[in-house]
Amino acid sequence: MNSPLLFTLLVCLTLFSYWYGINRSLKVAGGTEHKKVLSCLPKQFGLLTAMVCGLPALITLLIFNSAEQLVIEQLLTATLPANIQALSNIDLGLYLNNIRFLALSESNQALLNNLSSSTDIALNIQLNAAIAIQKLEQQAKWLKTALVLVVSLVSVIILVRKFSITYEARQKSETIIHALLVASSAIAILTTLGIVISVLFESIHFFKSVPATEFMFGTQWSPQTAMRADQIGGSGSFGAVPLFAGTLLITFIAMLLAVPVGLMIAIYLSQYANSKFRNIAKPMLEVLAGIPTVVYGFFAALTVAPVIRSTGEYFGLSVASESALAAGLVMGTMIIPFVSSLSEDAISAVPKALKEASFGMGATKSETVIKVLLPAALPGIVGAILLAISRAIGETMIVVMAAGMAANLTANPLDSVTTVTVQIVTLLTGDQEFDSPKTLAAFALGLMLFITTLGLNILALKVVQKYREQYD
Amino acid sequence: MTNSIDKNITGNATPAKLQTKLSTTEKVALSLKKRHQKERRFRNTGFSAVLFGFMLVVILIGDITTKALPAFHQHWVKLDVNYQSDWLSVDANLSGYELTQQLKTANFRKVLRNSLYPMFVNEQTPKLSRKDKRSAFKLFSSNAEFTIRDALLAAPEDLNETVSIWVRLDDDVDSYLKEGFAFGTAGLRIDEQQAQWVAKLEQEQRIESRFNTSFFTASDSREPELAGIKGALMGTLLTMFVTLLLSFPLGVAGALYLEEFAPKNRLTDIIEININNLAAVPSIVFGLLGLAVIINLFGLPRSAPLVGGIVLTLMTLPTIIIASRAAIKAVPPSIREAALGLGASKMQVTLSHVLPQAMPGIITGGIIGIAQALGETAPLLMIGMVAFIVDVPTSIADSATVLPVQIFLWADSPERAFLAKTSAAILVLLTLLLVINTTATVLRSKFEKK
Amino acid sequence: MNNIEITQDPLAQVELTETVGNIYADDAKMSIRNANVYYGEKQAIHDVSLDLAKNQVTALIGPSGCGKSTFLRCLNRMNDTIDICRITGQLMLDDEDIYAKNLDPVLLRARVGMVFQKPNPFPKSIYDNVAYGARIHGLTNNKAELDEIVETSLQKAGLFNEVKDRLKDPGTGLSGGQQQRLCIARTIAVSPEVILMDEPASALDPIATAIIEELIDELKEKYTIAIVTHSMQQAARVSQHTAYFHMGKLVEMGKTEDIFTHPSHKLTENYITGRFG
Repeated sequence: MNSPLLFTLLVCLTLFSYWYGINRSLKVAGGTEHKKVLSCLPKQFGLLTAMVCGLPALITLLIFNSAEQLVIEQLLTATLPANIQALSNIDLGLYLNNIRFLALSESNQALLNNLSSSTDIALNIQLNAAIAIQKLEQQAKWLKTALVLVVSLVSVIILVRKFSITYEARQKSETIIHALLVASSAIAILTTLGIVISVLFESIHFFKSVPATEFMFGTQWSPQTAMRADQIGGSGSFGAVPLFAGTLLITFIAMLLAVPVGLMIAIYLSQYANSKFRNIAKPMLEVLAGIPTVVYGFFAALTVAPVIRSTGEYFGLSVASESALAAGLVMGTMIIPFVSSLSEDAISAVPKALKEASFGMGATKSETVIKVLLPAALPGIVGAILLAISRAIGETMIVVMAAGMAANLTANPLDSVTTVTVQIVTLLTGDQEFDSPKTLAAFALGLMLFITTLGLNILALKVVQKYREQYD
Repeated sequence: MTNSIDKNITGNATPAKLQTKLSTTEKVALSLKKRHQKERRFRNTGFSAVLFGFMLVVILIGDITTKALPAFHQHWVKLDVNYQSDWLSVDANLSGYELTQQLKTANFRKVLRNSLYPMFVNEQTPKLSRKDKRSAFKLFSSNAEFTIRDALLAAPEDLNETVSIWVRLDDDVDSYLKEGFAFGTAGLRIDEQQAQWVAKLEQEQRIESRFNTSFFTASDSREPELAGIKGALMGTLLTMFVTLLLSFPLGVAGALYLEEFAPKNRLTDIIEININNLAAVPSIVFGLLGLAVIINLFGLPRSAPLVGGIVLTLMTLPTIIIASRAAIKAVPPSIREAALGLGASKMQVTLSHVLPQAMPGIITGGIIGIAQALGETAPLLMIGMVAFIVDVPTSIADSATVLPVQIFLWADSPERAFLAKTSAAILVLLTLLLVINTTATVLRSKFEKK
Repeated sequence: MNNIEITQDPLAQVELTETVGNIYADDAKMSIRNANVYYGEKQAIHDVSLDLAKNQVTALIGPSGCGKSTFLRCLNRMNDTIDICRITGQLMLDDEDIYAKNLDPVLLRARVGMVFQKPNPFPKSIYDNVAYGARIHGLTNNKAELDEIVETSLQKAGLFNEVKDRLKDPGTGLSGGQQQRLCIARTIAVSPEVILMDEPASALDPIATAIIEELIDELKEKYTIAIVTHSMQQAARVSQHTAYFHMGKLVEMGKTEDIFTHPSHKLTENYITGRFG
């Protein structure tokens, strides 16, 4: 039985167990009319039975599924001839993939027919292996079905035997639910751990072949040449400085647009606009925040970039078709509502008394805003800007679609630059083996990205928190 | 106010002696004009910033809408197809099942060619050159031969007859008809000869513009006139299904624990900080996690909605937890106390009193999380949902792509017609998001009224 | 703010008629005639007329919600910032109508300063707090002049000796009473003609309150002061004139000693004898 079907069956079994648990508990009590003698309600017995039926079996299924491929691969590799087993990991992986493809695409009968008609030894090995895989997978399916069913039934039987009048079904089921709740909240931690481990692990791998200093301070980025043996040292150059510079340039352009506009919007909406205007303006501006980044990318690449290019040419400037300016401006557009809503929160958090004091002295609104509100809200605004920067640095789609691939080290916004995220996408999309420095470089870049954004975020939260304490 | 005082306002270098003689009121009065000007400037700057924001929204939506409109209709051309059995190389004496079998593999390309060349000959050029033939053939969609095949399969009695059949024009011709660009426009591959032929076809009223249904009923294709979003929509649906199924229960459970059960200790603090920080981790990093852990370590299939859903779950979980916690916090403590006072256990109070009360807020948060996941592209590129996939996925383990990734793929295609397709797909995506967000807003306002 | 729940008032049956006592001052700095204030549909102040005597302290007293703070805020147009607030009547500062179209509220507020209930120093240094008004209004040409203004203002507010060594420290670091005196110093730094005080000592301890009260007594030499207060003792101690407000109406006004020794109106008597309030 395949997994979805098995899962459905398991759900049915669980529902049945609920009913079964209720029935058993009533039997223990000696009939429906005596259900009051039980320490818990029958439906609580049912709930416990259902959970005991479903959960262990579900965990078994998940573990089985995740281990299945690996075990089959190991078993298969053991049966292959020695010369194939001796292949490097990468080649062996490719070889196994071939066999798997054969096993998937051809029916068992077709493989057998091919085998009997073919005389090519290498092909025969593959065909045999494919047949072996099909057999192994068939066996695995049966084993899985049996295992899951046995686990669920046995756990129910063991549980039901323990039922008595004083059995604390409710407390037991609550303990299980509690454990599930704890597990759910632990997923956040596991996710972070997973990110750190996966990114760090691959990065360490990468830093074995490329020194960390070269990566951090080198100014040459050309991972594509890593394939060519005649390159110096046999590997491409992985100096990430142009990437960092490109990321910063685009982020800077984005901030140059987003911070003043976002801040002025926040000031206008919180201090000048009447509530009617605000109720229209805010959802309208939130549209900008709700548009998917891929749409911004499209807009940047196909509308903004050509406009900038032709404008630049009109003034006799040479503009790259994938200029940093286009990507930066569109990214700034995306970030405007982010800056404005966070700044507005910060400005609104300034106590009204300060505003009144300033008005009471005869200050105009703009003087009050500039000399009292903004300085008082500064930490909140700085926090907002830090978060916005972190967002711009990690933004991917806009730059993938509108910024270039060439790692130019330049501060000219009309030139094409590339960014950390663009390179991660470029290095990891398409087919390539997992262990080359080229793919591992993507993880090293990911590590940089993660550390930077995490640092900015923690800093921003600290600043904002300090600021809140000031007025609480 | 006298003129002499006015002069003092404009002259920056007001003699100190003069000013010290003035009373405070007079000094303030002197400064007023300038200050009010500044005030007006500041206010106008703020207003222009808001207008600028509006303008960006309008330009963005307007630009995409105008680019998208051509994709919703498509030009078809009427051909007089002569189903000659010897062109098809089928046996005209057959009938029924055997004929159908033969027709399925028959040479319809020859029928197509032989049927359309006569349309382009006239007195001056009684016979088309090789080059002309090729360029005439290029006017029609590569799908045309299948269209005429399907027509004959549906009505086998037309064999050896000449019938009028509508087929799609090629995407370049289609774009040319829609946009009326000059020859030589980048990406538009149509020459003057072809343009004349198209004009002739139009004159003969053989060309008709129809609503482009295949945009919604077809999957991705290399040919723009055939490409549709059904596969991507289905992939999105499956991915969102997985995301919803995982992120909602996990998010709610996590929020319930943190808000109702968690002891106030260091570990809880760490979890809280962690969740806040995860919400700000770039989405692409979640893609790296998916690639390294879910695909390479756990061995789940690449490109599958299952993996996409898991990655998006991890990404949206912080959003949902934060929103759910806010909703749970908003449940008045009196409800908890009342239920506890009646002898209910903490778990019973939480599940049967607090949770239902907080549900509308939680659902709103969940919808916002889903909307975020729906528009996400970058992490899905990492886990291989970027492949060119023609088949409509039917299960969460099939290779699939999603709407935003489809947009990304099409935006990269050089064919001019894909520009409109991309914009149209964006419009569909934005409409979906609008529906989802409106639902959230309506739910929230309903909830707030209560 | 100023919700007048007529039905809940225990003395609602006592009819409010014309103001009793003497609303006129011989030397009036401000004179208000027939002022009405509305918040949207609700009327918060009904037909109030009174004079603020020059270089004297006028106390506005009354139960909470009687409109005394609202009235005070009309005197330097602080209510302008509330959209739904509307004011009619004649409010004169010297001979100018402060609600005249061509009168600039900025200029008015420079002439009529305000001290608020809760000390509200800006989160800036003590020096910058006091210098704020002078800077925005452009009162000085150089640093020396500004220094002088700051010093004299702090001296007038009786704060200079306590803070002269730490003028660069944040104003928010001072004690509550010091903060309030800082706010007074900030207000007098622009040399206003009138100072409005909205319960300036209500957030302070008795010792700080006593210092503020002494200060008010000194300040009246140079400024005309109107003070809203909850405490009748305070009104008796610092003011020369007292106006008693009830439900948005001015019930009685007169010399402070008269009001407190033999009030003419039943409501005033009930209030100052502590029957309600």
